[in-house]
Amino acid sequence: MKKFTLSALVAAMAIAGTAQAGVTDKDILNDQMTTGDVLTYGMGLRGQRYSPMDKINTETVKDMRPVWAFSFGGEKQRGQESQPMVKDGVMYVTASYSRVFAVDTKTGEELWEYNARLPDGIMPCCDVINRGVALYDDLVIFGTLDAKLVALNNKTGKVVWKKTVEDYKAGYSITAAPMIVKGKVITGVSGGEFGIVGKVEAYDAKTGKIAWTRPTVEGHMGYIWKNGKKMENGISGGEAGKTWPGDLWKSGGAATWLGGTYDADVDLLFFGTGNPAPWNSHLRPGDNLFSSSRLAIDPDTGKISWHFQTTPHDGWDYDGVNELVSFDYKEGGKTVKAAATADRNGFMYVLNRENGDFIRGFPFVDEITWAKGLDPKTGRPIYDEAFRPGNPADSKDGKKGSSVHAVPGFLGGKNWMPISYSQDTGLFYVPSNEWAMDIWNEPTAYKKGAAYLGAGFTIKPMNDDYIGVMRAMDPKTGKEVWRYKNYSPLWGGVLSTKGNLVFFGTPEGYLLGLDAKNGEVKYKFNTGSGIVGSPITWEQDGSQYLSVVSGWGGAVPLWGGEVAKRVKHLNQGGTVWTFKLP
Amino acid sequence: MKRKLSALVLSAVISFPAYAVTDPLESPLWDYLREKFIGNDKYVFDDRIKVELPSFAEDPTQVPMTIDASALSGDIERIVSWADLNPIQHILTYYPHPEIVPRVSLRIKVQQSTAVRAAVLTKDGVWHVGGSYLEAAGGGCSTPSMANADPYWESHLGEMKSRLFPREEGGRYKFKVIHPMDTGLVDAIPEFYIEKIAVRDAEGEQLAHMELSPPVSENPVISFDVRDATKKHSVWLRDNGGNEFEQEL
Repeated sequence: MKKFTLSALVAAMAIAGTAQAGVTDKDILNDQMTTGDVLTYGMGLRGQRYSPMDKINTETVKDMRPVWAFSFGGEKQRGQESQPMVKDGVMYVTASYSRVFAVDTKTGEELWEYNARLPDGIMPCCDVINRGVALYDDLVIFGTLDAKLVALNNKTGKVVWKKTVEDYKAGYSITAAPMIVKGKVITGVSGGEFGIVGKVEAYDAKTGKIAWTRPTVEGHMGYIWKNGKKMENGISGGEAGKTWPGDLWKSGGAATWLGGTYDADVDLLFFGTGNPAPWNSHLRPGDNLFSSSRLAIDPDTGKISWHFQTTPHDGWDYDGVNELVSFDYKEGGKTVKAAATADRNGFMYVLNRENGDFIRGFPFVDEITWAKGLDPKTGRPIYDEAFRPGNPADSKDGKKGSSVHAVPGFLGGKNWMPISYSQDTGLFYVPSNEWAMDIWNEPTAYKKGAAYLGAGFTIKPMNDDYIGVMRAMDPKTGKEVWRYKNYSPLWGGVLSTKGNLVFFGTPEGYLLGLDAKNGEVKYKFNTGSGIVGSPITWEQDGSQYLSVVSGWGGAVPLWGGEVAKRVKHLNQGGTVWTFKLP
Repeated sequence: MKRKLSALVLSAVISFPAYAVTDPLESPLWDYLREKFIGNDKYVFDDRIKVELPSFAEDPTQVPMTIDASALSGDIERIVSWADLNPIQHILTYYPHPEIVPRVSLRIKVQQSTAVRAAVLTKDGVWHVGGSYLEAAGGGCSTPSMANADPYWESHLGEMKSRLFPREEGGRYKFKVIHPMDTGLVDAIPEFYIEKIAVRDAEGEQLAHMELSPPVSENPVISFDVRDATKKHSVWLRDNGGNEFEQEL
């Protein structure tokens, strides 16, 4: 008995000891391979969402059981798109309405919670979600729906610093998890439906002092702060008006609403940018840089190193914000420093991440109508103009252009939900959806804080028996290796592991574990509400744990058109489920 | 002579164990809250510590209160104030400064009729406890703030208005700040309140300061006296959402 008490004491002291250690840049860079914690959104800054753990594998996963479930409580049960973080026996997880919870990873007991007091005037387009925190030193940092960055003390949940990133009254908000690179917290902004100007900003993670800001619309000046002094740092794209008519660049959109990834090999941040504003493309002839693009940004200076635009002159809300995931592969004995992204527009792209050169691109959905294909050299889409919504100016009364039936629908071949890359299979696991839309254009004008679309639209399923398709895609060949079909649309992130498993959730509430090589279902557990979050896995006391947030919501129930009836019966929730082997 | 007498009374009290002293306000929570706020330190009920309240709380969300510890001026470490029967008992903790009179007026919320206390810690380590009983209809802490029905605060948060009233000696500042002071006890409205207020001098040096809790009323109105009204002063405050505001008085 005495012995037990003593060892318990030593263990408690050991935990207390490690709890003192703040998160460092080195911890963050090594996160993917250190199994005892989850310190980054994306399970590593590259965003591969791959874990080298294999205790839970295709043989053992059938015995996996929940060990605790934690409810966010309150009456605020809306979409829960969060990815939890784990450090020193504490889970940090965000919930709808800009809430943060700290939970004991052993017991599921709450340690503290922070509820942002939000103004009524917030303008999130697509549910009041949040995707997660960043951890640095003893801080827990997250973005709020009123476009602020808040740093909390990791022991108390009290605010240490808070910065206004932008004016929520102009339509800005933050829903993505910030990221920490070289001591800086990096964030984007949401609000592309309100004619905002997208940007990427870096702040000193410990103090919240701004370091640089980089607008993502051509023509806007970037700034850098040196010794507290604000200095001009070059206009994005060189000058205004090259790819935009008139002054439309002033409200050009290109929101960086999904956050970014980082690769230390090339020392670049990768941010996707959203649709140009307004949706009505006839108002803005030109490529509309840097909308619907991937931008590579120098983390020290905020300068754009290269860009790759997936949908120039977008007219379908093919909001190219999707994450760019770095990976290496061998070809002809040489290592290719590549990065892949599965775009809203239905094409998956493999790029050279050093310079943004197009390597290859291929569809990852069954049908694409708006483009006949990609230029094999540049990756630029070959448009089928029959599928661009008609110009309202050509209609009799000038009020509504001709409607087209375009595939994919505006919610995209893939939306926000992050893909995963397995280092074992060399495959990308892409949560995709098969849907189309009817879309037409209308006249519109920019007004601060008002929706700026100039389009009407409705989404439609392509098949009676499924919308969601989890696909295993080979980035070297563009071939689909296997697929798993789901009745309702997939809207949550993916995790792959060395245990030859691919984990993700469904709106029907299931946490699924599939064989990474062939897609066979190895595990299925219903969490009681739809899953639209991203699973994580980590190790504690020699056991492999897995957690996922359950709580139906997000953009689908709000913009669902004919899809809505497939998800209408799904109930809301707000619970972290945690599993392990017995 | 007078001073001598009270010192004598004091020493007499200290020599008895604390439990021998009964609460003059006969509150059922006195012992529980005494332990919570002043621990097992020595204490004495002391009429010189004034807690001024109306006889009945007309509006339980805005009850005017004055804590006056000026009788012990110069000898004070800090003042803690609480309302026994509030769901959140703590109202404020006050840290004095020689340039500011240890007397503060503000408005509070009460949930039901309750004893309201001010415990003053003097430099000899003894708490001097004053208090009053407030009759109230109740509900002040679980009523949604007015801010909840009107988005005015969203664009005016932290705005302050102030005035200086001349006194025989020095002056009295009265200031109002726009803040919902939400208690977190109303469904779906997180707690959101000013947790720190400081009076600063012209050089930005902190003079007296206070830690507040959500029972301080919405749009707090706070008065305090300065000994030298010719000097410039400013008020700095910070809420639990990390918002900071500062304004010259």
